[in-house]
This record gives sequence, structure tokens and C-alpha cells, in this order.
Amino acid sequence: MSAFANILIGGVFHAAVLFLVAAGLQLVFGVQKIINLACGSFYALGAYFGVTFIAYATQFGLSPWLIFPGLVVAGLLLAVVGPPIERMLRSVYGRDESFQLLLTFALVLMFQDVFRFVWGANPRSLDNAYLIYGTINTRDFGVPVYNLLVIAAAITTAATLGALLTRTNFGRIVRATAENRAMAEALGVDVRRIYSVVFTLGAALGTTAGALIVPTAAASLNMAIEFVVEAFAVVVIGGLGSMRGALVGSLIVGLMRAFAIVLYPEFEVLAIYVVVIAVLLLRPAGLFGKPVA
Amino acid sequence: MAAILGAGESMSVLLETRRLSKNFGEFRALDDVSIAVSAGELVSIIGPNGAGKTTLVNLLTGLLRPTAGEVLFMGRSIAGMGPVTLADHGLARSFQLIAVFPQLTVEDTIATALISRQGKRWHLLSRLASDEDIAARAREVAKMFGLAERLATAAAALSQGEKKLLDVASAFALNPQVILLDEPTSGVSTADKHTIMQILLAAGRQAGVKAIVLVEHDMDLVAAYSSRIVALSAGKMLADLPPRQFFSDAQLIAAVVGKQRQH
Amino acid sequence: MKRAAVFAAAGALALALLPMVAPAYYATLMIPFFGYAIALLGFNLLFGYTGLLSFGHAMFLAVGAYGSALLAGVFGCKSFELVLLGVVCIGMAAALPIGFLCVRHTGIFFGMLTLAFGMLFYSFLFKFYHLTGGDSGMRIPRMDILGLELAQYSKIELLAGPFYYYCLALLIITALLMWRIVHSPFGLHLRAVRDNARKAEYLGVHVHRLRLAAFVISAAFGAAGGAILGFRIGLADPELVYWTHSGQLVFMTVLGGFSNFFGPIVGALAFTLLQDQLQSLTQYWRFILGATLAVVVIGFPAGIAGVLDLWPRFSARVKA
Repeated sequence: MSAFANILIGGVFHAAVLFLVAAGLQLVFGVQKIINLACGSFYALGAYFGVTFIAYATQFGLSPWLIFPGLVVAGLLLAVVGPPIERMLRSVYGRDESFQLLLTFALVLMFQDVFRFVWGANPRSLDNAYLIYGTINTRDFGVPVYNLLVIAAAITTAATLGALLTRTNFGRIVRATAENRAMAEALGVDVRRIYSVVFTLGAALGTTAGALIVPTAAASLNMAIEFVVEAFAVVVIGGLGSMRGALVGSLIVGLMRAFAIVLYPEFEVLAIYVVVIAVLLLRPAGLFGKPVA
Repeated sequence: MAAILGAGESMSVLLETRRLSKNFGEFRALDDVSIAVSAGELVSIIGPNGAGKTTLVNLLTGLLRPTAGEVLFMGRSIAGMGPVTLADHGLARSFQLIAVFPQLTVEDTIATALISRQGKRWHLLSRLASDEDIAARAREVAKMFGLAERLATAAAALSQGEKKLLDVASAFALNPQVILLDEPTSGVSTADKHTIMQILLAAGRQAGVKAIVLVEHDMDLVAAYSSRIVALSAGKMLADLPPRQFFSDAQLIAAVVGKQRQH
Repeated sequence: MKRAAVFAAAGALALALLPMVAPAYYATLMIPFFGYAIALLGFNLLFGYTGLLSFGHAMFLAVGAYGSALLAGVFGCKSFELVLLGVVCIGMAAALPIGFLCVRHTGIFFGMLTLAFGMLFYSFLFKFYHLTGGDSGMRIPRMDILGLELAQYSKIELLAGPFYYYCLALLIITALLMWRIVHSPFGLHLRAVRDNARKAEYLGVHVHRLRLAAFVISAAFGAAGGAILGFRIGLADPELVYWTHSGQLVFMTVLGGFSNFFGPIVGALAFTLLQDQLQSLTQYWRFILGATLAVVVIGFPAGIAGVLDLWPRFSARVKA
């Protein structure tokens, strides 16, 4: 029972992080119809920057207790990379999907060396700094409090995004633009600004997710490339463009991964791809996506 | 104008629908329509926008499956037959919204149909450029449709009218038994419309087409060339009459066309 | 047609002279170029001519490499020709079911499916590490070419000498084959499917079968290219099939120009030389490559072939 609970919490924790990145992906795809292969790079950027930020902050007297909010701040600060990158992507909006994918792939390549340049080739971590928050110990198992904080953050983000998209004017405008750009423009929406804001929001979600992970895992060069595959699995299973899909998809992938690592290590990665392929073949729209013509 | 295409043979039914209906969810696009097209006929399908004309054409050419009723081509139900099978059996169509291959030249487009027609689909290693059969026939078809000068032009660079002609020309290149033309003269100036109709009829004769089904808005064309007129409105068939009878019924015209035809 | 022949002849001649005028280093550097060029000819049949962008094409290169390791290393086949034939058959056999499932979709979904299959293959290589050596890969032994052992040549001498010309010949043969294919009725039908699949159907084109055929042919070329890569490196490595390697294939094709028959070959050459030069200049060569790709995508979608206005373009107007 204890092992099960441990795996479960671990899976949900991973799902929380996945959700943040996937939500960003879905937002950008929903509005701009771009699949951002560089989402993993944003994630890694957040992770690397998180390490540096906390390292510096602690030098200047940041209390170890404030690591969690500190990392959130670090992640959000990185939102500044959003607008310039969106500006660059703007040149391929109307064009063939292949070109959009390729441009984001170019970003992946460039980011790899940016990481190498700034942070070097070795992984960087905060040495299990998450332990500062302690663990909640029950009779059977222990849950690191940090994990709970991250899960709470993901849930809050999900709720906020949901409210933002459905209850605010901004959200309505975003959804209208996603539905029909030409019409939105004709109705006076500054589509360019919306694109920029949405992309920045997506980027911020990705960088924050990356920042939040560093107390528990190291930031490494491989991160950016490996994460894309999982994020992509989430988006396929959940359905392209769907927020609910991001939520459910993250849970499925996160939990599958957690259980597979422990129970069937060799099957871990295999299982995810088999599910992705099955979904793409049987129900390409995913669980919550729009049906494919 | 009974035998438009000089069929000179017995009036066999080539294409027919029996009690054909089609729903899109709640919306009834076509309701219990039964028509038959026989050899030598040019049947015009008319009706206001949204009457179900294109839906009917899509059902007749296998793009859509009927909700009820059936479509028969040469006496056999076309259910389950894809466009390729139908093309092989002699049913071709052109499209209302222009359908061309943007990067292919006029010659290439016609050749695409000819390759299917001549059974050369799986010739992977033969040189298309040196195939005189195809080249000659493509030139012929292009000439018939007034596109001889544009053989080497990419479809994307053609004018709207030329694109329409190319769409129709490539369908004729299949030498079909029955051809369905969805508004072939839309977007063409009135002066040219009759020219186009003459071209279509001549092309049909030349290609051995036995029957033509035409979706048209222009009543003058319909009156001049049809052997029969099928009028649709809101998914139902209002009439299936030869032009003389059709145009002498003022009420009918009002229902379909919306105004009295000027004499 | 004439201009293409002249261009091709000039290119072949330049390649033939290279080992005589340049140091052995460059000759051996060109071996992967030959491998990629052949693989990309196949890839572009799928992408440029049929309009399907595969983000998992590297899996067929891996089939070529791992197939070589299997046939030559495990089963001890010494003839490179037989191994080549073998991996081409394996590649085509694998491509049939995968392609059958994938070509029912187009656009993003096709790309995602192929990426997923590629990564599935990647994880297979790790799961069956008893067979495949997992992370360490599988050794590919040296093979006889044209029945000759050529033991008097060291590996480097072999690569810069006889094997170089062997690969050049292979490239010429495969290019001629592909030239025939794309200029055949079959090739025209592929382009029709790319431009307007629905209209093509109504002109009697079997869209799915055709796409599957293109997929299988591209896999054959991919496996052949992979065998050459494998021979050069001497090792079949799982990284060959990682999605970023598939991305690199697309990069090379677009760099060279996907609307031109020679584009992929030009792209493979440009990428190989560029990567080599950059690697000697800076450790941040990936950044520059990425930036190059961005510049090409944004400013020069027709690639190098477009910039140089190389003939033949197989479309009358370049599509971006």
C-alpha cells in the first residue's frame, strides 16, 4: 500500500509539471495553430535559470523556505523570452505546417547551445533542496511537502486558466481568435497582440514548470529534447488544443510513467508510445480534441 | 433536343437514384429524390442556393453516403464504391469550387486523368515525357477546351475561367460514360457561357460521353441545352420535366427561380 | 532535361576528383554525405513529391545500420551487396505495416504518427538490449565490396579510396533510379495527390495506395543510406533513430531545397560540410546550424537550390 501511494504521488507530481507545459502547448496550438517543438527548451531554460536564480538569491540572504515562491518568480521572469521568439515565429504563421515545425526545431537546436554556453555541459541541480520543506509522514508512507506544493500550484494554475479563458473578456477574445482569426480581426481584435500574449503565457508556463522541478531533479542538456516527447504524448492523448485534454493527458502519462518505472522498467517508454500510436490511429482527435475531418 | 449527345442507341438508364435522402445531423439536405439519367440526355439540376444540388451531386459521385435510398450506376448500387472505382467504371465529375493541382501544368493535369484511363498507374520506371499516346491525347483535350496555348502553364497561374475549364477538361479526359458538371460556367462572362456549353457538348461527343448531368444557375443555358430539368427546393424535388413543359408552368418557375421568366 | 544532365555530370565529376585533390580526411567525411544523400532522395519522394512530412524517417536509416550489424555481424554475411539488398528488403517490409497505418492521415497527424513510431523503435532498441546492445549499440564489421576483401587497405584508406568511389557509384545509380521514378506516370500521380488529393481521386488516382508506395520506396532508400552510414561508423547506435535525427533529415532536405530533384543531395552536402567546418571553428556549432535553418525557413524556403535557381524545379512555381 505504501509503495502504491508513493508511486501515485510521484506520478501526480510528474503529471503536475507535465500539465503546466502541456497547457502552454495547447494554448499556443489552439490560437496560433503551431506545435512548438521548443516547449522542452522552455522547460529546460526554466530549470537552468531556476538553479542559478536560487543560488544567487540564497547568497543574498534568501531563506531556504522561500525556494518555492522563488522558483515561481524565476520561471515567470523568463516570460521575457516570449515576445521576441513569437516575433520570429510570426513569419511562418500563414505557411505550411512543415515550416512552422521546422522553425521551432531550429529553436531547439539554438537553445541547446545557449544552455551549453551559459551553464556548461554538466547537469545543474539544487541538491535535493526540496527536502527543506520536509515530508508528511503517515503510518505507511511519506510525501515530500514540496511535491504537494507543486501539485497545488498546478491545480491553481489549471483553475486560473480555466477561469481566465471562460469568464473574462480576455479569455473570450482569445477563444474567438482561436476559432476564427479573420473574423476576430474584422471585429476589431488586435490579433497580433493576442498572439504575442498567448505565446508569452505559454512560454511562462513552460519555464515555470522547469523551474519548479529543479529541487527534485537536475537541469541537463538532454532535458529539452526528452521532454518534448512526453509533452507531445500528453497533447496527443488529451487532444490537440484542449485544456481539459492537457489535464487528463498529463495525469495519464504521469501515472503511466510512474507505475511503469517501478513495475516494468523496460516497458516505461514503450508503453507511452504504444498508447500514443493507438490514440492517433483510433481516435486522432484524442480524448477531448476536435474531431478530425 | 431529345438526343443531345447523338447516342443513337436505346434509351438505357445509366445513372439513377431511388428515394434518395441525406441528413446532416438534424438537417434534411435531400428528401426522397428519385431521378434517372438515360443515354443521350443532358439533365440539368436547378434550384436556389441550399436546395441540395451539390449534396445530390456528391451523393451521385460517391463522396457522401445516403441516409436512405440508393444510387445506381449502370444498374449497380454504388454504395461502397470509391471515386476511383467509379472513375474506372465511367463516372466523372467536375467541382463547383475550383479543383486544380496548383503546381501541375495544364498538360500534367490532363495527363493525370489519362494515366488512370490508360492503366498506367503503376508504371514507375517509364518516362512520361516520351509517352506519345498521352502527350497527343492531352494536346487534343486541351485544344478542345481552348487551353492549347496554356499547356505548359501551372494551374495556379491560370485565370479563374481557365481553371474551371481545366477542371472540366481533366474530367472529360477520363472518357467517362456519364459526367457530372457542378456549375461549369459560374464565374464566366455571359458571352462565354454559350461557348463553354458548345465546347462541353463537343467534348462529350468526342470523348464518347453518353450522358451529362449539369448543375446550373443560368436559366438561359438550362432552357437551351437540357433534355430534362430537375428542380430542387429545400431538399425536395419539385419537378422533373423537359424544358418546354417546365418553362410553361409559371407557378413552377416562380417556386424555383423566384421570378417570372422574361420572354 | 539537358541542363539537369550537365549539372549532374559536373557534380559527379567534382565528386570523383575530390579524393585526388583533397586530403583523405575530406574523402572520409564525404561517406556519410553519400549515405544521407541516398536516404534523402527517398525522403524527398515522400515530402517534396507526395507532400507527407515524416518526423520519424531516421528509423529507416537505423534499419539500414542495425540490419547491417545483424546480417554482417551476427550472421556473418561478408558481401556488402547482399547486406545492402537485405536491409533494403527489411526496410520495405517494416515500412509496409507502419506506412499502412500512417498514410491514412496527413499533415500534423502523419508527422506525429511517424515521430511516435520512430521513438517506439528507439525504445525497442533499448528494451531488447540483449539483441541490440542497448546504449552501446551493435558492431558493424567491415564487409567485402564487389566481392573484394581489400585487406591491404586500412579502414581509413578503404573509406577514402575504393569505398568512396563505390558510394559515388551507388549515389549515381540510386539517383538515376529516383529520376526515373519521379518522371514516370507514377511520379505524376504522386504530385497530383500532393496538390489536391480529392481531385486526384476523382481522376482515378488511388491516393492511399500511392502514398503507401511512396512511403515504402522512401524506406528502401533510407535503409540503403543507413547501411552506408553504418559501414562508415562501424557501429549501429540507438541515437540514429532519435527524433532529433529525423529532424536533421528534414533540415537537410529543406536546406537544399525540397522543390528540386537535386535539392536533397545539395542539402546533404551543404549540411555535412557546414557541420564539419563549424565544428572546427566553435563548440557552439549547433546554434549556428539552428540559426541557419531559421534563416532558410524564414527567408529562403526554396533552399539553396532556390537561391541558385538550380534547374530542374519539378514544380512550375515553388510552393513554400
